[in-house]
Amino acid sequence: MVLLEIRNLGKRFGGLAAVSELDLDIDRGEIFGLIGPNGAGKSTVLNMVGGTLLPTSGKITFVDEDITKFPPYRRAQRGIARVFQRDVLFRSFTVLENVLAGLYLVSGTGFTEIFFKGLSARNREKALHEKAMEILRFVNLDQQADEMAINLPHGNQRALCLAIAMATQAQLLLLDEPLTGMNDEEIEAIMSMIRTLRDEKGITSIVVEHNMRAVAGLCDRVAVLDYGKKIAEGPPKEVVDNPVVIEAYLGAEENAV
Amino acid sequence: MSRKLLINVIVAVVLAAVIISLPFMLGNAYWTSILVIMGVNILLISSLRTIKLLGHISLGHVGFSLIGAYGSALLVMKVGLSFWAAIFIGGLMSAVVALALAYPFLKVKGIYFALLTLLTAETFRLIVRYWPGLTGGFWGLLEIPFPDPITIPLIGTINFDNINNYYYLTAVIVSLSLLVLYRLERSHLGFKWVAIQDTEMLAQSVGINVKWHKMLNFAIACFFAGLAGALYAHYQHSLSPDATSRFGVLMSIYLVVYMVVGGESKFAGPVIGTVILTIISELGRALGEYQPMMIGAIAILVMLLMPEGLIGLPNRFKLLNRKLLNQTQRMRRS
Repeated sequence: MVLLEIRNLGKRFGGLAAVSELDLDIDRGEIFGLIGPNGAGKSTVLNMVGGTLLPTSGKITFVDEDITKFPPYRRAQRGIARVFQRDVLFRSFTVLENVLAGLYLVSGTGFTEIFFKGLSARNREKALHEKAMEILRFVNLDQQADEMAINLPHGNQRALCLAIAMATQAQLLLLDEPLTGMNDEEIEAIMSMIRTLRDEKGITSIVVEHNMRAVAGLCDRVAVLDYGKKIAEGPPKEVVDNPVVIEAYLGAEENAV
Repeated sequence: MSRKLLINVIVAVVLAAVIISLPFMLGNAYWTSILVIMGVNILLISSLRTIKLLGHISLGHVGFSLIGAYGSALLVMKVGLSFWAAIFIGGLMSAVVALALAYPFLKVKGIYFALLTLLTAETFRLIVRYWPGLTGGFWGLLEIPFPDPITIPLIGTINFDNINNYYYLTAVIVSLSLLVLYRLERSHLGFKWVAIQDTEMLAQSVGINVKWHKMLNFAIACFFAGLAGALYAHYQHSLSPDATSRFGVLMSIYLVVYMVVGGESKFAGPVIGTVILTIISELGRALGEYQPMMIGAIAILVMLLMPEGLIGLPNRFKLLNRKLLNQTQRMRRS
């Protein structure tokens, strides 16, 4: 079943076509890799799906709804969550509060609660707290719940970014280079989390990543972009052997060697 | 929990007792009038800090205060509205203008936002200055009436034509406003405002409507600025659009100085900053024209020595205390 449908997507920056004529179908419950050389337009695609960039042409459909022109927060409400490239998290908040920020999206608090916190409101807060701790246990950060988020080491911050995205009850995760700057152990941990999310909750992921070994191990399917165009698509093993892809990465001459 | 509640209740009772007894303790109308202005300033600066939660520093808060002041005064004088309705409508007028301006203004940050708001406030002031038909123009608005007396069952009729009663009125309205601002900051709204300050990108990605929450924040803050202006107008009985008045650039800068000296990281910061700087500047009145220099010197010292502001002092003492304790222990051991 198709979760995200991209048709004829294009983005021009002035005269430069960053992405053009892109068609993609992403099925529910798959981990989809978006790879390609530097400047191929991978992040641009991710930004257009997340809503931080609006496309100049084409259409994006998510769960049978046209979201092409939606602002990011409305996409988040529909179930698309981003994990940004750098360690983008709420610096003033503790680890737990960072996850709570994600949970507030679905909990929906009312105006009256500003002045009066009734029993039901307090119970709901407690439930949210429990849920946040559950998510933190999943990413192995429950011990650090009350630490300030910025004091965590890099690998843990990335895991927290994933936890925030999970908290929004997303169906689709957009992961922008989730593995950069991590050691092997941390990479393995994050990869297994993404897999578990797929297997246990049916969460779909789109991963932009440079680490080819990780992409091959993680993704069910990959698409290769070069100069904003899709040049190959399929299971990772097939795609990396495709001569067109090798040429895009290494250039034609090196290919001959 | 219950112990914390008990402490809060005790603090509230003591504060209320101090606020109620202050006019008698000080015992003269001059100091009571200082207290009224101080109350107005506390509300103004606390609402300035509300905008700071988004990471924005407004240099135009006096402009929104001006809308509330002139709006409320004119509603009473020209429309014949009761003071009690007029001050809130004055605040609402300010909020509506803020809501309209917030959309373009909040797209920019930092120095650009500060400059935009500064120029907006000056524009408001100059409109009032050059519209003599409505606002009295250069001469200002004169003979703004006292609030209407109110009759409360069992207590009787209260007049506000004396300074003590106006002081109590200000104390009640400012306290209630501060309570609202405090509750807002502690609610999910305040949580989202701080989230937006941290990173707009991620805030959007967790489903926060960043634009709307910024506009709401600005409108709420400007409502209270307008309310503070209205309280000032009916106390002073006259308003002036002069550059050296409360609605000029210098006052805008003072508001930021008071906020920073008090410490903008905590809710109580602006309150403490305003109280202490008001007292210091009153005691330094003998310095005459050098008075601003003294405030400037204090501001510089606080910023250099206590970047957290006065509100950070207790923490500093705690740290110092621990350090001394460690030292004495080490000395004993050796």
